[in-house]
Formats: sequence, C-alpha cells, structure tokens
Amino acid sequence: MPPQPPRGLLLLRRAGGIWGIDSSAVDGLAARGDGYRISVRGGALAADEILGVAEDLSVRPPAPWLRRFWPEAPVGLTVHGRLPVVVVDPHRPPAALRLDEGERSDEGRD
Amino acid sequence: MEPRGQETRRDGTHLLVRAGEYACALPLEAVRRVVRALTVHPLPGALGELEGLAEFGGEPLPVLNLARLVKAPTGANPAYPVTVVVWVGSGGAREMVGLAADAALEVVHVPSDSVVSGDGGLLAGEAPVAGEVVRVLNLEALGREA
Repeated sequence: MPPQPPRGLLLLRRAGGIWGIDSSAVDGLAARGDGYRISVRGGALAADEILGVAEDLSVRPPAPWLRRFWPEAPVGLTVHGRLPVVVVDPHRPPAALRLDEGERSDEGRD
Repeated sequence: MEPRGQETRRDGTHLLVRAGEYACALPLEAVRRVVRALTVHPLPGALGELEGLAEFGGEPLPVLNLARLVKAPTGANPAYPVTVVVWVGSGGAREMVGLAADAALEVVHVPSDSVVSGDGGLLAGEAPVAGEVVRVLNLEALGREA
C-alpha cells in the first residue's frame, strides 16, 4: 500500500526542482554553506532554498508510467501556487536530496 | 447517431506536430490544448525523454520531449516553443501529459488503412500526409506501465 501523503509539507528547492517532505518528520534545520541541511530521523537532506510549509495540498500519486523515465519513487505530485512539487518520503529521498557522500552528517549543527 | 462515414473520419483526425525533423500525428481526441512552452522544473536523474514537471490548470504535469520520444533527429531550432497537452493511457488510468515540440502544424485526416509499420507501442505506424511521411502515434500506449 503506498504511503499516505502527509498533511503538512516542508517545501524546498533543490537541483532546479521543488520538493515537499512531511514536515512532521523534520527534526532540525540549519544553514549550511549556500544552502540548508535538514535533519530527519536517521539521516539528513540537503536543500538550496527553503520555501516554507504548506498544509492540505492535494497530493496525487505519480502515474505508474513515470517510472519508465524516472527511477525515483516519489510519494506523489502536487502544486503550490504555480509551482509543481514532488512529494518524497524523507526516509527514502531521491539522490538529488541526499547530502553528498563524505560530508559530515553533523555539519551545521549548533 | 452519426453516419458511419463521419465516425470514421473523426477517428482518423489527427493534430500534426513538428518534433525535430519528424512530423508526428497525434489523435485529435487525445489533444487537450496547445500552449506556449510551459515552464518546466527538471527531475534530476530522469531519462532525457522526461523534461520535468510543469504546472497546468493547477495540476502537476509531467512534460516529455516529443522529439526524443520518437528518436527524431534534432531540427535546426531545438527550442521546443510549444507544449501540447495530451491525454495518455485509457479509461480510468488516463493522465495528462505535456509534449514539448517545435510546432503544432495543422489538423489532418489519416485514414487507418494508410498507416503501416508500427512498433506495437507509441509508434502506431507511418503514413503519407501531403507528400510527407508522418509518424502516427498511439498515445494510449504511452500511458502503459513499464
């Protein structure tokens, strides 16, 4: 059964795309270089820009055919304002959101 | 009830679209709108056929590059200035998709008995239209799972 879309989404920009993650899964947020480090249980994600938190967006599952062209498995797709958003599981993020290998996981923590 | 001849003509009506050096015929009933190129946000790690994600009518819209999809040689001006919004798949599994293309040309009639040599998938076959061989596409096939 696919995961249910979260109610509150932390919206961020990364690698030219807009992404949404379950805001309740976020443990911390810290500036890191030109971007941000987002702490989630068991890991950390990277963002170029934090756009804010949006609630009750209508998230629809991605069409199965999309996997033919994109190997990632997002939770769903939605729109915030005029921006298309890819909603992802913060515990199984796409490669673009993961911190680069070799970077310190505690970097940026106060 | 419509006369049989009109039904046949409607079934064969296509929108002719330029994609690189190919002209592609899209079933008109699957075409929702032709718009100026939508702003596309890339999906990192996607194959070249998938340009990214756009917004259309308040909904997220995956956008595919039609020229790459049909393996057309790149034209002289590969800017893809139009997005053709189409339905792919069938029945309840129908989904909207954007096709980035060079131009929407005209509406043409492609008789089904003039279409030959399809691949059983997206390419329904080829057919002569006004002296040019066009690729006739089956957009229902695009919506099938991998």
